[in-house]
Amino acid sequence: MNHLLIMLPLLIPLFGAILSLFSWRYVRAQQVIGILAQACMLIASFLLLFDVNDNGIRTTQVGSWPAPFGISLVADLFSSMMVITSSIIGMAIYLFSIKGLDKARQTFGYYPVLLILQMGVSGACLTGDLFNLFVWFEVLLICCFVLIALGGTKPQLEGAIKYVTINFLASGFLLTGIGVVYGILGSLNLAELAVLVRTPVSHPALITMAGMFFLIAFGIKAAIFPLFFWLPASYHTPPIAISAFIAGMLTKVGMYALIRLFTLVFVTDQELTIPLFTVLAGFTMVIGVFGAASQNDFRKILSFHIVSQIGYMLMGLALFTPLAIAGSVYFIIHNILVKTNLFLISGVVAHNRGTFALKKLGGVYLQHPFLSVLFFISAFSLAGIPPFSGFWGKFMLAKAGFEIDSFVIVLVSLAVSLITIFSMTKIWNEVFWKNKPETDPLDDVVTAREKKDNRLLHLPVLFLVLFILFIGVYAEPVVSMAQLAAEQLLNSELYINAVLKK
Amino acid sequence: MKTVILAVAIRILIPIFIIFSVYTLFRGHNHPGGGFIGGLIGAIAFVFHTMTHGPQQTVDTFLKINLYGYPRQPNQSRSLYLMRMMRVNVWRRRKMAHHPEIKERMIRVEPIYIIATGLLLAAGSGVVGLVFGQPFMHAYWADFYIPIIGKPGTPILFDIGVYLLVIGVVLKITFVMSEE
Repeated sequence: MNHLLIMLPLLIPLFGAILSLFSWRYVRAQQVIGILAQACMLIASFLLLFDVNDNGIRTTQVGSWPAPFGISLVADLFSSMMVITSSIIGMAIYLFSIKGLDKARQTFGYYPVLLILQMGVSGACLTGDLFNLFVWFEVLLICCFVLIALGGTKPQLEGAIKYVTINFLASGFLLTGIGVVYGILGSLNLAELAVLVRTPVSHPALITMAGMFFLIAFGIKAAIFPLFFWLPASYHTPPIAISAFIAGMLTKVGMYALIRLFTLVFVTDQELTIPLFTVLAGFTMVIGVFGAASQNDFRKILSFHIVSQIGYMLMGLALFTPLAIAGSVYFIIHNILVKTNLFLISGVVAHNRGTFALKKLGGVYLQHPFLSVLFFISAFSLAGIPPFSGFWGKFMLAKAGFEIDSFVIVLVSLAVSLITIFSMTKIWNEVFWKNKPETDPLDDVVTAREKKDNRLLHLPVLFLVLFILFIGVYAEPVVSMAQLAAEQLLNSELYINAVLKK
Repeated sequence: MKTVILAVAIRILIPIFIIFSVYTLFRGHNHPGGGFIGGLIGAIAFVFHTMTHGPQQTVDTFLKINLYGYPRQPNQSRSLYLMRMMRVNVWRRRKMAHHPEIKERMIRVEPIYIIATGLLLAAGSGVVGLVFGQPFMHAYWADFYIPIIGKPGTPILFDIGVYLLVIGVVLKITFVMSEE
């Protein structure tokens, strides 16, 4: 049974994509298949989480080849939480794209590619093999390239080329790192690697060097401080449904891989990695938030905030205590939901007003008070105001920082929170609160059909806000699950025993 | 690019390419070969055909079939009608093409459907293991032996899927590139 449960998050999107390919000419059928696949995926990932929660780490060996030789798929709490989050936002994005994406893009394979992208996310989270991790990241890269370039407008192509060039470079680093690891240790199975690096005969300096290759590769993919510049350059170009999924999910998958590798494999030289991560985390937070403060476009502000939030997740890895890792896990889950939701809200606003520029927007509160409430909840979750979800993540991180006397990074993170509130307030003032700038009164006429579309566009936003409120107001089960996940991450024995069946 | 030499040579080469690709596909389990490389070799045939005759001609020759027929008369028996339809479509194609009563119906195979079929076969072959409670892609082999092909099993389904997928992708790429 556990074979099936682990495979389902990969197989459901795959078969959904195949069926969508068969109904290539019928967009309506593709929409139905997509929604059904998302619903199945949501159910399957919840079943997986309950199973992992009850029985500990579950594994399956694809093709029945035993562990260090074949392909292992491993589901622990962290990875199944990632899979659930990805299926939640996948559902929201699908609901949004039916009305929020133009017909031309929908007919050119948007639905199958998005499903394959989701399969890539599940694969990257569930794989227990270094080379497979690389392959899944390539799947993600290819799908993102297609999605960003889909439609072929000039800014999109420009963004896509920047995105692909820099990510190819990252893949090169990743592959080099994998080659070095294989050269030193002779295995690519994560569990076996974890055993090998802990034996005294291995070469600590070389392994640290290989770890740096992985840090650069996933640092580019997760948009960490010196390597983030591609992100604000490309994320604001595609239509909102696409950029919401990519912005919400993809950098966090990079972060997931980083946390997985640096808690399981590259733990030998922590005198180097921990100060390095601390510095990188601080700079990522500060630079990201200053970048956001200087922008005047709804989506660009949000894009820079992605960078800043990545800093918090890295901070958990830098502090490296169980509470800090739990904070990182919780923060990743929270951030995926909130960030996707903020992008979707900017999409709803732009759908009505036709622009993302703060100067031309205004008066949304008067027209859509309900949407404003939804934005308020998401924005203040992002900024970390209690009782919303961001608070708990930041609270855990700050507490973990104080416990081991790393005051500087905690102070930096709290200061960054303040500036985050500043930019969220800026969006609130400019988009929702201030009077609408003078425009042609004919634009304001809302037809009945547009009203209906609008209601459908609110649906995914509301869907995500429910989850955000759940993990914020009723945080206890999620936080305790994050703590269990952190324990599993830090106790490598559990992972090794589950995979190698000792 | 219309050259007489290539156009003549390709007529002889296409069957060779296709037979060799199928041979490569089936020897792939224990020797060098398999679905991917077999698919590429098979796709060469279509690529060369497109290079000499253009994409439209390739579609007409390989990926399209015209079915001929007419609506069934009210008091005509179904079996007789079916047999006549078969005769029209199998034995007397050329003659019937210009018959006034006969209508033409074109069936065209788009590369995208070849891709989808290939993916379905490949992914479906893995699910067999899951259905019987084994891990994904657990191999199942039949008990009997077919001459030339060997023992059939789920891995060959996977390879055939990859073969179709590769042919479909190369065809799609070739058609798009040669239209520009």
